[in-house]
Amino acid sequence: MSSPASNAAPFPAVAVRGLVKRYGTVEALQGIDLTVNPGEMFALLGPNGAGKTTLFSILATLRTPTEGSAAVLGHDVVSARDAVRKAMGIVFQEPAIEQRLTGRDNLHLMGLFFGLSRAAAHQRAAELLERLGLSDCADRPAKTLSGGQRRKLELARALVTDPGILFLDEATLGLDVDARRMFWGQVCGFTSTGRTVFFTTHYMEEAEVADRIALIDAGQIVALDTPRALKARVGGGVTRLQTEDDSRARVWLTERGFTPEAPGKELMLVHADPAGLLPEILRNLPVKVQRVEVHEPSLEDVFLKLTGRGLAAEIGAAPAGGGRGR
Amino acid sequence: MIRAIYAVVVLDLKRAWLDRIRLAVGLLQPLLYLFVLGSGLGSSSNLAGNYRPYIFPGVLGLSLLFAAVFSAITIVFDRQVGFFKAVLVAPLPRPAIAFGKIAAGAIQSFTQGLIILPFAPLAGVPLSLHAFVGLVGAMLLAAMTFSAMGVAVAARFTSTTVFPVVSNAVLLPMFFLSGALYPLRTTPHWMQIAAHFDPVAYAVDLMRGEVLSTPGSMVTSAHVPQFFFPPLLSIAVLVGVIAVLAGSAVKTFNRGEDDSSLGAARFNWRR
Repeated sequence: MSSPASNAAPFPAVAVRGLVKRYGTVEALQGIDLTVNPGEMFALLGPNGAGKTTLFSILATLRTPTEGSAAVLGHDVVSARDAVRKAMGIVFQEPAIEQRLTGRDNLHLMGLFFGLSRAAAHQRAAELLERLGLSDCADRPAKTLSGGQRRKLELARALVTDPGILFLDEATLGLDVDARRMFWGQVCGFTSTGRTVFFTTHYMEEAEVADRIALIDAGQIVALDTPRALKARVGGGVTRLQTEDDSRARVWLTERGFTPEAPGKELMLVHADPAGLLPEILRNLPVKVQRVEVHEPSLEDVFLKLTGRGLAAEIGAAPAGGGRGR
Repeated sequence: MIRAIYAVVVLDLKRAWLDRIRLAVGLLQPLLYLFVLGSGLGSSSNLAGNYRPYIFPGVLGLSLLFAAVFSAITIVFDRQVGFFKAVLVAPLPRPAIAFGKIAAGAIQSFTQGLIILPFAPLAGVPLSLHAFVGLVGAMLLAAMTFSAMGVAVAARFTSTTVFPVVSNAVLLPMFFLSGALYPLRTTPHWMQIAAHFDPVAYAVDLMRGEVLSTPGSMVTSAHVPQFFFPPLLSIAVLVGVIAVLAGSAVKTFNRGEDDSSLGAARFNWRR
């Protein structure tokens, strides 16, 4: 198998310009600009309904943009659909293997779909099953496999073409920690050969492995940077306080020039030197403090800071609509 | 293109093989029509003893029709569970997906029809070799047409609970208007006109003409001329219907997951 991706690739792995997607009057994507470099591990984070899945389906040639353009490895997702389809592999959040057929049959058929000869498809299927450690269960109907094995089979399906870029749309949703670690182990093996991975996830620790992260909210990219740089935007550390009367505490803190935020049943305070600040607050705050927590800023905090809302929050009726299932 | 069609057909036939019990169960309904309904209605028809041979091609059409449309439900099911996305992101030409699906459905439908053929003598239909060859040809064309109908409609649905209801609502009138159970020539004028717009009528008529071409069959009966439509017209209509429906399916597959332009806002089907 040849390796279509290399670091010398003249095109960005993904180039999105002014991308707008409307469903009727609902604007699911409101002008997205994004460049993913070849060989990069790139994460897209955002709450449900932010437009992640819509962006994914456009890149995967399953939907067409209303305005703007998108290209994958230099191929336009509208005018060069087949080139995009040949160049990428994708793992969806829903299962996309035929559950009643065996893993081997699934991979073999996918090989035929991608234009391999029968012999080549057989060989490729066996190769992938071996590489992903699925050889032992390759001849059982897919529905009898464990969740982790099934996800690996999905990954194998996406790798049938030896793609230059791999898209993962919440690929590890619902897996236990071990299975997730195994899955990401396989994915990292894939990037070490200079290929690009573009993924979304709900698990923050998975996003940490990305080279760069784009935060998307209500159809717009609100930030795009390395995990470290994103966290630096929050600056210093985060102090979380639970008091007897949060609203009074908030007023008191605001009067002293702090900018507390109240994401839930607690106050969040971002400060360059939380450890130095804390004793003074505890000494002087006129309400009784019940609980204090100081930690490094997480991606969750970054998102909260930028949008005023949590990442994991299930926003059922998201204003931008267009979440999964559209 | 051929390889891509082959891939789609292999996928569907592999899955159909897991469901092979369907072939046996699918035999029940036509036999019921042939021997129970056929006997009951035959005794009150002016075709009398010739009624069973008369409806034999009609019943053949019925089983081809239902087997073909039922096999198209895999498209709806695949969309519902998400598997269809894996098909759509593969670099398969969209016409290959459409033709592959139509061919796979036609093969399943034709197989269902073939296992009814041995019952022809029991139904009083003597088949000459000549008529047999003609009938098999007509069955293939009918199976392709019915499969194209199933695929073109199924491509627009994402719900396995809605599709069977809608397809039944469409199929039964088409079956009743087709002249499968009674000669079109003796039906009211409006029914004869309506039959001209019913692809099933052409398919059934073509098969019946072939069956009745065997010497010694009831072809002599003045009530039942061999064909209602000229056979060449029937063939042309069926080929045309296949082409139009395949084109419609290609268009739908071209849209991928995009329902924004499918009229889904107007019809709530795809939700």
